[in-house]
Amino acid sequence: MTAGTDRAGADPSSVAPSAGTADVPAVDAPPATQPVAWRHRHLLDVDALSRAELELVMGTADAMREVLERPIPKVPALRGTNVTILFYEASTRTRVSFEIAAKNLSCDVVNIAAASSSVSKGESLVDTVRTIEALGADMLVMRHSVSGAPYLAAEAFGGSVLNGGDGWHAHPSQALLDLYTMRSRLPGGSLEGRKVVILGDVLHSRVARSNIWTLTAMGADLWLCGPATLLRGFEAWAARGASGRRFTVTSDVDAALRDADVVMALRIQKERMASGLLPSLREYAARYGLTRERLRAASPEALVMHPGPMNEGVEIAPDVAIDPRAVITTQVTNGVAVRMALLYLLAGAQHGGGKS
Amino acid sequence: VSDVADRLDLRGWAVDPAAGCEGAAELTVRDGILERVAWLEGADADGLDADGTLLLPGLIEFHAHFREPGSEDAETVATGQAAAAHGGYTTVAVMPNTTPAIDEPGVVGRVRAAAVASGSPVRVLVHGAVTAGRAGETLAALGELADAGVAGFSDDGAPVHVPALLRNALAYAGALGLPIIDHPEDPSLTTGAEMSEGYVASVLGLKGWPIAGEAGAVARAIAVLADVVQDVPGAHLHLTHVSTAASLAHVRAAKSAGLPVTCDVTPHHLAFTDEWVAGSRRWAWEALAGDGSARDPWIDGALVAPPFDASLRVNPPLRSPVDAAACMAALVDGTADAIVTDHAPHTEVDKHVEFGWAINGISGIETALPVLLAAVDAGRVSLTRVVDALTTGPARLLGERRVTAPGFREGEPADLVVVDRGATWTVTPDALRSKGKNSPLLGRELRGVVRLTVAGGRVAFSAD
Repeated sequence: MTAGTDRAGADPSSVAPSAGTADVPAVDAPPATQPVAWRHRHLLDVDALSRAELELVMGTADAMREVLERPIPKVPALRGTNVTILFYEASTRTRVSFEIAAKNLSCDVVNIAAASSSVSKGESLVDTVRTIEALGADMLVMRHSVSGAPYLAAEAFGGSVLNGGDGWHAHPSQALLDLYTMRSRLPGGSLEGRKVVILGDVLHSRVARSNIWTLTAMGADLWLCGPATLLRGFEAWAARGASGRRFTVTSDVDAALRDADVVMALRIQKERMASGLLPSLREYAARYGLTRERLRAASPEALVMHPGPMNEGVEIAPDVAIDPRAVITTQVTNGVAVRMALLYLLAGAQHGGGKS
Repeated sequence: VSDVADRLDLRGWAVDPAAGCEGAAELTVRDGILERVAWLEGADADGLDADGTLLLPGLIEFHAHFREPGSEDAETVATGQAAAAHGGYTTVAVMPNTTPAIDEPGVVGRVRAAAVASGSPVRVLVHGAVTAGRAGETLAALGELADAGVAGFSDDGAPVHVPALLRNALAYAGALGLPIIDHPEDPSLTTGAEMSEGYVASVLGLKGWPIAGEAGAVARAIAVLADVVQDVPGAHLHLTHVSTAASLAHVRAAKSAGLPVTCDVTPHHLAFTDEWVAGSRRWAWEALAGDGSARDPWIDGALVAPPFDASLRVNPPLRSPVDAAACMAALVDGTADAIVTDHAPHTEVDKHVEFGWAINGISGIETALPVLLAAVDAGRVSLTRVVDALTTGPARLLGERRVTAPGFREGEPADLVVVDRGATWTVTPDALRSKGKNSPLLGRELRGVVRLTVAGGRVAFSAD
């Protein structure tokens, strides 16, 4: 294990007193000047985040949201911080969101789009990361098609690694922006006891996996729904989930949607048919597609979410995507605020934040 | 060239499973010959117990990869022999998945020549390939390989997955008096799989390797064997690195039915589990709850290391604590005939990469004995049974023609290992003689230090 990196991405040299209260920092100022109760040098997964830490991210994102509403949505907080965005997988939304978030904090940003067809071709991830560090990067935002790759990067990188999505494993910033969006839109601002349904290709979804951790931590009544082939292995997880982190797995879409407070549809990829997991997109749309008709079973004010990009007419009907209950574009805007919060908090941990 | 063990006077706790003896003993070696074996009793045995110095017959490895020819950057026959001796092994049978594959006598000769040229007294036996180029299409030169003295046939690393070809191979090899050593795997269920299917794989988002991907292949191979023995009573199916409860149930039933099937288990499938991929490092038996189910490493503080350590990527994959317990039960009840390390050294270039892109394999021949002693310490298996499965078990699989029966017999060349059971050592890259540093135990302190390995009367390894 590399010194200074525990499995959660915490740097023991900057462990703060327990983050029992979410003391939200004044985000106009650099984090090094403030007491921030954030101990994770990297953000690789959300499995180890406590409820208090989730609250801190939410509170910091609130402050960032306020920045975004200013005439000039930019603060000098991270001036001089070099952020490298290294994406081994195609992405528009997440990559641009991180880039805007970093620029809003006055970071200097470099984008690298890397092809990753084969490990045998070209430079290894470890060498790439060492090179990026030698070029002066303080923070590395990365996306990779292989689960766990950011842990390998974190082992080699002296700064902070922020996981922008790895394989089927985790998509921390997406889960946190989803949580932020739900809290800001649900009456009372709490997930406690709220029925949240994640509908679709759960098996291949890093968004679903990360949302399991964050939503159960916040007390939501979480349901995973889809064809049995796309829920493989999740019953084993649900059966073992720790107390208070339980969720329900079902292929019964009507039972799942009944009285739901939030419905999140996941993208269905065409290659799932080739591997025999689904008969056809048509059958999927007919049996699991999120339509107005189906949505009637949910709570009248139910939020409709989608991490994007959408296949309209497959997992979500076009009219549902633009329904007043849909918060899909709000998710995108909130994504910038949440990613600003994450960059800010990680920079604080890097600077030994929390030691005030 | 190593020295003859000219003068050794050894006192300790000896285990000779062939003779059915375990107890305080004194071994006297002169000019490489075990001159005297004295089992001690009463006052003579004072101070000698199973927690001190162990005297064991030289260990026998039925399944290792020495990578020569073709991947000498990962291991050579010479470095493999050095690693074996450091682990307490005096005989090693190597697998034929080299480049080129050991599918004709010329390559057998090349491996043998390397074993002699190294000067190491560790004996190297060779398994030949089942199919030409290990491609799974046509039979390799089985007869010629048998004439060249191979110990068995295996396409290890890949299964013989066409049942018709497996049937022919079992019959043809059976008539030659040699086993087919099958790596049971159904590729249609395991393509792209990254770790054992189950709770941990689901959480980590790694593609699951289902139980049926092994158990189905085991059941089918046994069914094919049942047909073959009608024609060829000498047919012998050996299933290597069996890792699941379901597979072992099939083997147990086949043995009860009298079929000529044998199998082995590995130290890593006995002692490590899938939760290690998530960052746990507790032994398999420590991951079981009181009711025999697996504990949850996410809630009981077991996750101490970063997840996705590629040194844990192995085929078959590390299984659940429940499957590991089934492997242990099979070892204890004899369903598993032997323990093999499946020593699979790899370079950093192939291993220090993204988990899903890392090559399969664990460098394990030097840590096998201490890992198994941990199981003995925990009361999961007896010392005698472990030593039996590391000596007489593999010796039976290799056959009397190829290996002298292990044990302490006066007048024969000394073949033994001396282990300081109470001493500890830390597994580090430098401590491993193997070129393969791909061990998930790096950094870990293990109890049980090999002090001396004598093979055929010559010193193969000495800590002093």
